[in-house]
Amino acid sequence: MEKLFALALVVSCSAASAQTPAANPMPDGSRDMYAGLGSVSAPRYEGADSNKLTPLPVLQIQWSNGFFISGLSAGMHLSNQPTVEFGPLLALQPHRDDGGNGRGAGDIGAMSGLSMLIQRADEGNRLAGMEKIYARLQAGGFFNYYLTPQWRLTTSLLYGAGNERKGARLTLGVQRLAAQIGSRHALSVSARVTVANREYNQDFFGVSLAEAAASGNPFYAAAGGLQDAGIGARWNWKVTPSWLVASSVQVTRLLGSAKNSPLVERPTNLTVSSAVAYRF
Amino acid sequence: MQRAHFTACLPLLLMASLASGQEHAGEWVSYRDVYRAMLVFEKYGGPKNLIQNHLQVASKDKADSGDALQVTLSGKSMQINLPLDPTGRTVFPQLKVAYDENATLVFSKSGQYAVRPRVSIVLRVDGAYDTAELRAACDQALAYARHVDASLRNKQCVGVRLVFGKKGVQAGARLRKSDGVGLALPVAEAAAFAGDADDGFPTVTYRFAGAERTQLLASNAPLAIVPLFE
Repeated sequence: MEKLFALALVVSCSAASAQTPAANPMPDGSRDMYAGLGSVSAPRYEGADSNKLTPLPVLQIQWSNGFFISGLSAGMHLSNQPTVEFGPLLALQPHRDDGGNGRGAGDIGAMSGLSMLIQRADEGNRLAGMEKIYARLQAGGFFNYYLTPQWRLTTSLLYGAGNERKGARLTLGVQRLAAQIGSRHALSVSARVTVANREYNQDFFGVSLAEAAASGNPFYAAAGGLQDAGIGARWNWKVTPSWLVASSVQVTRLLGSAKNSPLVERPTNLTVSSAVAYRF
Repeated sequence: MQRAHFTACLPLLLMASLASGQEHAGEWVSYRDVYRAMLVFEKYGGPKNLIQNHLQVASKDKADSGDALQVTLSGKSMQINLPLDPTGRTVFPQLKVAYDENATLVFSKSGQYAVRPRVSIVLRVDGAYDTAELRAACDQALAYARHVDASLRNKQCVGVRLVFGKKGVQAGARLRKSDGVGLALPVAEAAAFAGDADDGFPTVTYRFAGAERTQLLASNAPLAIVPLFE
């Protein structure tokens, strides 16, 4: 178990997830932690036609002072109102090279590894010759509002992605939290849209003249605006008081300037993951 | 690609096969999950001197009154029996050691149970309640309910429901006006709290009316006085 946990921590430094866990009141000095391992099948990069299967370390820790680590994001709950959550948020944006995105760790309410294999024969890698985008620490904040105890509107804003560290993304979503199905199963559903600035879209979907010459992709100047929309469902199965199976499926469709990028092979992608986690 | 998606589900399938014969015996809920819901009342900063908060464990099966249900707080270093009143309520023990041990609340019977906080009005030993105080208590309960659930902002306090035991005591209450005239209120079978499956408790409902000073006199100690919002 110690080895597994070390792996989760190591891998948690290679990908981003900006979702925030719900506020978790607890006794002073206590913490609530999940750690585990699973696998995820996700697009090789945003807009890729091929999927990559990677191990999925899971890590989510919440402390009594409001600080949390969730996948590759970290933040702090500052609100003392049960209907409102807000606070600062840090998230790691994974690197992207001609092999696709780097991956990271997942969480229980939001998930994300080690690249292992690439499915589907390479029909011409559109990222070959494209400049590598380095992993970046993004900073921002989150604000969530509970319409009812089961439904919450979520927003998060993160800045600092891309090689110039000027990429920003605003994510707006709605979640139906943990509907109980039987005594040990809970299903959550969510929908979201993401708005990105021009710098973000240019880094991840644009093709500069130099890149056009090196990659064979046509020159493309990406604009800011709606970047993608998605829906997802998460199923948590409490097998025992300590062991949990967390599974999720998400469908994402690129929009606007991102969708029209020559790097995009398929605008709609599916991500499927499942992991076993232990609650400490 | 489909193979990749399927492979990603292997942990789920593996766990399903392992768990098919090894699921934790009996029904249980996580102490941490319950603690999270119960602590909100403790941290609530608004007026709450007239109301109280309990943990309710109630069967979702109407045929199961829950009389024989026992709930045990079970952790590495503890086994604490939590006695339930006839409405399924118990005082929730807030124990840091139970939280840190990831303790569970274990139920003695299998079945489907709703586990939730229940706010009620504090009982008086003499059984005599000024209706103005009942209204104030209901207002406190509504303010707390709005604190937890923003969708209740359009609800108003309309009255209270006295819930009596099904056996052992005579259910009843009467309204005494300032001139001393008494008025017996009707007894009807209903659920103790909104959403409960068991709707067979003798209850007396008093709906607030005007500003007249009156007293509500319970013939016997009720199990609970529940604020009513509409």
